[in-house]
Amino acid sequence: MTSTELLRAEHLTRHFKIGGLLSRRTLHAVDDVSFSIGEREIVALAGESGSGKSTIARVLARVYKPTSGQVYFEGKPLSAIRSRRDGLRYASLVPMVFQDPFASMNPVFRVQHGVLRILKLHRPELSAKQRLGEAARVFGVVGLGADMLQRFPYELSGGQRQRVGFAQALAMRPKLILADEPVSMLDVSIRIGLLNLMAKLRDEEGVSILYITHDIAGARYVADRLIVMYAGQIAESGPIEDVLSAPKHPYTQLLLSAVPDPMAPLAQVTDRGEPPRVVDPAPGCRFRWRCPLAVEQCSSVTPVLAEVRPNHEVACHVAQTGAEVRAFAS
Amino acid sequence: MAMPVSSGVQAESPAAQAPAGHALARIGRAIRSNRKAATGTILLLIFVLVALFPGLIAHDSPTADAYHPRLGASSAHLFGTNAYGQDLFAQVVWGTRNVLIIAVVVGLATTGIAVLIGVAAAYLGGAWDGTLGVLTDVLLVIPLFPLLIIIAAYAHGGTTIVLIAAITLTSWSYTARQLRSQALTLRNRDFLEAARVRGERKLYVIVMEVIPTMTSLIVASFLTNALYAVLLASSLQFIGLGDPNTVSWGTTLYWAENNAALQTGEPLWAIAPGACIALLGAAFALLNYAFDEIGNPALRPVRRSKRV
Amino acid sequence: MSEAHEILEVSGLSVDYAVPQGPGADIRAVDDVSFTVDRGEFLGIVGESGCGKSTLLFAVAQLLAPPAHLASGTVKFKGTNLVGLTDKQLSAIRWRDLSVVMQSAMNALNPVKSIGAQFQDALQAHGKPSRKEIAARSAEVLRMVGIDPVHLKSYPHQLSGGMRQRSMIAMAMLFTPDLIIMDEPTSALDVVAQRALMVQIKELQQAYGFAVIFVTHDMSLTSHFSDRLMVMYAGQIDELGATRTIFDRPLHPYTQGLLEAFPSIHGPRVPLKGIPGNPPDLAAIPSGCRFHPRCPHAVQRCTVTAPDLYPVDGDLVRCLRRQDGSLPDADQEGSLSR
Repeated sequence: MTSTELLRAEHLTRHFKIGGLLSRRTLHAVDDVSFSIGEREIVALAGESGSGKSTIARVLARVYKPTSGQVYFEGKPLSAIRSRRDGLRYASLVPMVFQDPFASMNPVFRVQHGVLRILKLHRPELSAKQRLGEAARVFGVVGLGADMLQRFPYELSGGQRQRVGFAQALAMRPKLILADEPVSMLDVSIRIGLLNLMAKLRDEEGVSILYITHDIAGARYVADRLIVMYAGQIAESGPIEDVLSAPKHPYTQLLLSAVPDPMAPLAQVTDRGEPPRVVDPAPGCRFRWRCPLAVEQCSSVTPVLAEVRPNHEVACHVAQTGAEVRAFAS
Repeated sequence: MAMPVSSGVQAESPAAQAPAGHALARIGRAIRSNRKAATGTILLLIFVLVALFPGLIAHDSPTADAYHPRLGASSAHLFGTNAYGQDLFAQVVWGTRNVLIIAVVVGLATTGIAVLIGVAAAYLGGAWDGTLGVLTDVLLVIPLFPLLIIIAAYAHGGTTIVLIAAITLTSWSYTARQLRSQALTLRNRDFLEAARVRGERKLYVIVMEVIPTMTSLIVASFLTNALYAVLLASSLQFIGLGDPNTVSWGTTLYWAENNAALQTGEPLWAIAPGACIALLGAAFALLNYAFDEIGNPALRPVRRSKRV
Repeated sequence: MSEAHEILEVSGLSVDYAVPQGPGADIRAVDDVSFTVDRGEFLGIVGESGCGKSTLLFAVAQLLAPPAHLASGTVKFKGTNLVGLTDKQLSAIRWRDLSVVMQSAMNALNPVKSIGAQFQDALQAHGKPSRKEIAARSAEVLRMVGIDPVHLKSYPHQLSGGMRQRSMIAMAMLFTPDLIIMDEPTSALDVVAQRALMVQIKELQQAYGFAVIFVTHDMSLTSHFSDRLMVMYAGQIDELGATRTIFDRPLHPYTQGLLEAFPSIHGPRVPLKGIPGNPPDLAAIPSGCRFHPRCPHAVQRCTVTAPDLYPVDGDLVRCLRRQDGSLPDADQEGSLSR
């Protein structure tokens, strides 16, 4: 439970038109999603490919406009941002860190290029000398030496490049960092270093992070709250320990049972892991075809997110009846 | 089957583009280590020197009909003289300047226009891409050489400027298409999205982020266009559409053809300028291959180490 | 593991990458690797980026391309040394007895050919089957991996990621080989699809009896599936032994570090440290033990002497302090990094 709310999404929807001239269909990437992020918290947005989590990040980064619904940052709606100045201000408060360490930096320029451009755009009051000093400072915060500034991206490892991504975000003095799968392309032993960095940014720099991932174990390590997405909708959300220790949605249970854990016995999973592509969907629960607990209602009525325990919400008809949900052993 | 191309030297280090800062030093080293580059550079340098200091190399005036006509090669006249009594060596030497100017200017102008239009079309997309695309395609479809002939004929005696303009106008569209294709593949790269998300303006992204990553294709385009300019200009001059009073290899060929040089026992009149055209063209082509290899390590010839 | 049961024996394999500076400066990506694989065995090869595991795989399959080349060693497959065989001799073995599944199906599958057409190519490359035989076998292998044979007409981009990977495995099974080599086949998949694929591979293995060499950077993935595990670092084998044994009591400090870098869903939330530093630049390998700059137990002699692979407690370990027993034993719960 955090004191101040930083960002609130209300009934956020984003559709894409697909198909050629003859068959216009609609891809429902995100449908009626509502959530909030407070100060000094890390919220994990978890889901598989096609769940809509990356689309949400891009809506929050103002790369896409919502098809309907609204996003409020510090109480003000994003749709009210018109001028370039307001846009820049928002971009500095809500920067994004990208997934691919090999593609997120321009290979032609030195590593300092991105940070210095950011400082020039967002903190114009600094002199050139002050910019260099600030660049060295944020590099230090993320654990990189100041000598890295002069290097080229190809000289850095994947983990170091991702740290540069976080340093660039820090240079803007942000309130909320959108981290789009920042560690999924790194070796597992390197991931811990970056997850520790994210926790440090929350604790010492007071920054909130929206951590988009498909790795539940990593999310558990660093996040305070968890939002599980499926087929463009929120399936379950709540404090992360609550959700992981007592998952209420069958999809969450499926995810948990599939996570490789050497210390736990192998759970029997027969599901093939084929997430749906949601094109012109009919009403009803989108998980019903894979759900062993599906009932009549699941085919006709789309479940809505509702609390089943304090702060723990689920969008599942069966779970909302209060029945014990044990769809997949974990 | 996928093959391992990049070595496991640095943990995950992909083959990178030439970093802007080291450019000159890297180019120097690359040229010395690559045979094609070295040959091409030397040839080109020879021609450049000849174009810069023709008076030092050829002591005669190219246009003075001062000598005995139809002399063979000798120490006084390295290529002999033509039917008008002009020293052929001087003609070829002084003609170098004209050809190189055309090659370089056309190369720069064509590539410049192609970069602007091609990259802008790719990055801006939508209606911009459509309009610029139509413009490019129209020029692409019209056959090049006949169009050149028409333009040169209407310009009443193609002076150098007319030749440059005509060739540039008809050549830029092909390169624009190529650059647009490459820019399209770059459009969704994360670092461009990162630049937009941090607040950069579109024009900045095009000029400062996209174009620097395309340098090897841009250099290759310049060299290709220069090469084609040499061939096209010489061809136009050869068929009489250049200004016959300019001293150039193509015009020398024109006069040689007019006087049936090959049949009347003055082969050097045609061979000398023809060979120069071929050599200069080869220089540009060699440099083109070499830059490909420098920019893309996967294309380099690998010398296997001798097993002991 | 008697010789009669061995299907693959790799001895002293070393792979070098030629560099422009000349033969003397060649970079050794795989250094003197030796191991065996028994019939029907599932061997997992684990390591971080740049440790040489993929290069090793390509070397075993005789797929190395310049600038990589085999510097020394033999690869005995069912008694025959594959090194030095001509392409013609190799093609008799390829796909019939030994097949390969690549990391990304999108890279390995031809995007402009249907799945059925690609199966047909493979079948025709190694025999002269009739149309009926081709159709029957193609449908059969697809059913083996749980894909409806109607997808023989589909193109790769029409299939989901999981289905693509499974069709790659089906293609590798066309001739029911004795050994299938897999290079991170699950890394592009989501967690549920990943689990499904691993289970599928294991089921096929148990049904058809082929051996599997499975390369991955994610140790926990192989924990329930592999019989033996090989941990690689900087081109060398650092630990080799039964999977369960290694997970229960890892001997090499690198293996211990790797295991401790995995956050878990179950159990208490503890801060983890991972392994500090980065894998070494193979052009500038540390003196002595390659892992010593990152090792919490390194002592003076570790910087000087390069350890050999040494049998300890049923495993093979490359660690001086394990060799002489001077390393304190780690208990299962405790963390050496504390």
